[in-house]
Amino acid sequence: MSNLGVKVKELSEIERRVLLNIDSKFVGFEDVVHSSGVEIDSVRRACAWLDQKGFAVISESEEEVFSLTSLGEIALKKGLPENVLLKTLKELGGKASFSLLENKSGLSKQEFMAALGINKRKAFVVINSGNVEDTGVSEGNLDFSLESALKNIFEGKKVEDAFSLELLKRGLVEKKKSVLRLVKISPLGSDAKKILSTQDVERVFDVEGEVPNIFLGKRAPYVQFLQQIRGKLVSLGFKEMPTSLITTEFFNFDVLYQPQNHPARTLTDTYQLKYPKSGQLPDKKIVDSIKSAHENGGVSGGRGWGYEWSKEVASKLMPSAHGTAHTAKQLVKGVDSPQKYFAIARCFRPDVLDATHLIEFNQLEGFIIGDDLNFKHLLGMLKEFATSIAGAEKVKFFPDYYPFTEPSVQLSAKHPEMGWVEFAGAGMFRPEMLRNLGIKQNVIAWGMGIDRLAMFKLGINDIRYLFSDDLKYLREAKGVLI
Amino acid sequence: MPNLEVSKKDLERLVGCSYSKEKLEDDLEYIKGEVDALEGDSLRIDCKETNRPDLWSVEGIAREIKARKGIEKGLVNYKVKKSNVDVFIHQNLLKVRPLIVCAIVKNVKVSEELLVQLIQLQEKVGESYGRRRKELGIGLYDLDIMKPPIYYKGFKDEEIEFIPLEWKVPLRPSEILAQHDKGKTYAHLLKGASVYPIVIDANKTVASMPPIINSQITGKVTEKTKNLFIEVTGFKWETVCTALEVMCMSLADRGGEIYSCNLHFPSDSKPYPKKLISTPMFKTEKMVFDKSLIKEMTGLVLKDKEIIDLLSRARFNSKISSNKIIVEYSSYRTDIMHPVDIIEDLLISYGFNNIQPEEIEMSVVGSELKEAKVIDFVREGCVGVGLQEVMTFNLTSREIQSTKMNLVEEELVELENPVSINYAVLRRRLTPQLLDFFSKNKDKEFPQKIFELGTCLEIKEGVENGVSQTTNLCIALTHSNVNFTEIKSVLVSLCKYLGVECVVKKKSFPFLSDNSAEIIVNGKKGFMGEVKKEVIDYFNLRKPVCVLEFEI
Repeated sequence: MSNLGVKVKELSEIERRVLLNIDSKFVGFEDVVHSSGVEIDSVRRACAWLDQKGFAVISESEEEVFSLTSLGEIALKKGLPENVLLKTLKELGGKASFSLLENKSGLSKQEFMAALGINKRKAFVVINSGNVEDTGVSEGNLDFSLESALKNIFEGKKVEDAFSLELLKRGLVEKKKSVLRLVKISPLGSDAKKILSTQDVERVFDVEGEVPNIFLGKRAPYVQFLQQIRGKLVSLGFKEMPTSLITTEFFNFDVLYQPQNHPARTLTDTYQLKYPKSGQLPDKKIVDSIKSAHENGGVSGGRGWGYEWSKEVASKLMPSAHGTAHTAKQLVKGVDSPQKYFAIARCFRPDVLDATHLIEFNQLEGFIIGDDLNFKHLLGMLKEFATSIAGAEKVKFFPDYYPFTEPSVQLSAKHPEMGWVEFAGAGMFRPEMLRNLGIKQNVIAWGMGIDRLAMFKLGINDIRYLFSDDLKYLREAKGVLI
Repeated sequence: MPNLEVSKKDLERLVGCSYSKEKLEDDLEYIKGEVDALEGDSLRIDCKETNRPDLWSVEGIAREIKARKGIEKGLVNYKVKKSNVDVFIHQNLLKVRPLIVCAIVKNVKVSEELLVQLIQLQEKVGESYGRRRKELGIGLYDLDIMKPPIYYKGFKDEEIEFIPLEWKVPLRPSEILAQHDKGKTYAHLLKGASVYPIVIDANKTVASMPPIINSQITGKVTEKTKNLFIEVTGFKWETVCTALEVMCMSLADRGGEIYSCNLHFPSDSKPYPKKLISTPMFKTEKMVFDKSLIKEMTGLVLKDKEIIDLLSRARFNSKISSNKIIVEYSSYRTDIMHPVDIIEDLLISYGFNNIQPEEIEMSVVGSELKEAKVIDFVREGCVGVGLQEVMTFNLTSREIQSTKMNLVEEELVELENPVSINYAVLRRRLTPQLLDFFSKNKDKEFPQKIFELGTCLEIKEGVENGVSQTTNLCIALTHSNVNFTEIKSVLVSLCKYLGVECVVKKKSFPFLSDNSAEIIVNGKKGFMGEVKKEVIDYFNLRKPVCVLEFEI
């Protein structure tokens, strides 16, 4: 088979359709779209390939084209100022004062004066003792040719010079340089076209060549990460707890023995709701025992914070500020023992969104309840997390403070690539909290901000990419495997 | 969390050792502290102990480290000598700010370093432990300029005026609250008070207006000051005593001698402790608990001697008799509310990293929430249809949720204290968030086909807290030729996969064109259709969009 024969066989369907629709005269790509019915993007690509293969010739020249300015875009939406003015005048009954007309028309002072001048020149309106009056001349004489010229320019169509110059003068359009590409068939292409139009040429693919992109249906990378974390916790024997975006201060703070005058309970540290403002508290019996936990330690054997506890403060609604709010709710609802619980909780804190802070984030939270659990078990559990979730090599424990745990501990883990990272906060729930809820066993609890680990697993430096609004990033992101 | 600035050399001198960065980090564990920054001699420490003001100064840090390392074990021991300074407290402050406690510290060598530490401690204790001076305010004065006895009394605005710190002319209390920086900051603390609390001496010279500001005359401590008068005002006896002792200890650690003041209260009924009492007291408290609690909590098997030694390193004195343990601790340790607080201190002395972690043996079965399973099942279907999942914030603006969607005034869950108007409400539906997403991706390749599975909130009566939370699925498609048929095909094939029934009924929505319908998927309502041109314009989009959303 001749060399040309092979080349023709390798042409794609689109290339063939384009080739059959060009000849020895230069035409624009748009013209090829018309004659071939192939979409513009495909025409562009096919022409480039045909040019590369020697079947077509592309000529490039710079030309000046018109495009809409921001004023032009407004005029396109609302109409030209003179027509807006006239329309407004008619709506106002054909007569109106300057200020009323200017106000109602929504035009700027400058636009308004120019529009008035144009209408006056056309004798569509007259000015009579401070009022603008409709002369009626415009009936049937309104000219929309300039507006349609504007629309044509917007759509990239050709427009008569007189119109485009007028629009240019009025600042509605501007001139921009653009590259004009024309295409024609080459002699070799003509031979190929002859073969294609006379014979049925089966296609042969260039198996080593490039292919177009396909966008896969995909999970968001962060969601994929969270699902795998969920799977890990389930495999470690944890049972998932329900969570909610909105909670009362009762669950977010009071059940957790956080006093009502605690600095974390102020507007600078946590969000509160403007609407709705307050919610419901659980049974009186539970509310009363939390009240006495704060005031005098209740049945815990502790002395409490020693202040007068307020039901009103506890009823205030807020978006959950930490995952422990859901633990508190679970403890109030009742728990089985022995059992392991976890939650992936959306939390909210008043931060400014930037590369290191999110306004909402996810916390991994949980607790283990059982007979004879002690501090050694707490450390054992943390060590297990560090290895199985973060793949840490070494762990270190630091004394820490939380209002609801005593002892409290911070876990730092040494990750082979991330180095030492603060990984989790944990502790044993205070007796003031447990005993007053009727829980006799010890409970070890932990919480971790998993977003830092997520950033590492996703290979991103900017935390905002967890909630990315960049479609290109989402499409190109690799799958996550923790 | 208090952030403290200290001189590294000063800390080394007080502890009596020199610190490498690692050794410093190790020792700061004793105060739940972390090195925030270390540049030359300037050391910033984050102290996570929010309930122990005794640790918030370089002297306090050194005091704790010395005990933990066994250099100085057991209860602190400060000598308090008697002074003849009387302080008379007036009944008319009962409802305003009833309590004051005072002390004198003599022969202090006030260096620049000490001054910085003293002011930092006063500031941290007042702001953090004192809840922005609401619960306690601390005043420091040059005793040698004052003439005892001292009076703590309420005055009406027209009865008194004095020159506040950093000011030139005398002002009335109300003027201070309106004009002076400190006055403006703390004015709310005296809002609605019938009289203004004033500390004044026998010469009728005003020392201060607690907890707002000192006077320029007596209330200025400089490097020339030798003898200090300290007062703390507030509402709760333990709180003010703690703050006073914390201040005295720091000064005594630098060689000052503590003297007491005699406080004459109007009565011995609450909130007053007694008619006549001397402060600072440096009292101790006792806590008794079963020795078995230590093993139960810590898992450690310790000999009595070890327990007593570990506790003495936390500055506790303890005795063990039969099965009871009696622990004596300084009353300024108001963080001790329960035996577990003492046990944590024992563990810190032991060293967390000296404890062998133990595995938990518990045969329980893990499970995820049913909803989470369903959501992931739906997600799988959407991915199968070729859609890209996106995740947007729950927090958004009313403009995006309602205005741009052509929806007039509607109830949304709204924040009281938003950081930005762009994140002031919690979303009620996902569709606007996905349209907003499209508006940020106009330059990306088309077709764009996305979905989100996310929580939405609606105000509703009869549900918990009046807010109903649902998980919605929203699918949005955009390209030049998108139309109703395409979105409906997606819905139909998805429902087939999910095995749920789906009813489509023509219905109009303010944000959808005539080609729109109500959909009922598995018994739950939603909508589907082509987005109205107006809405497309509001979101500044260039291509048509088809969308569907329903609750799952």
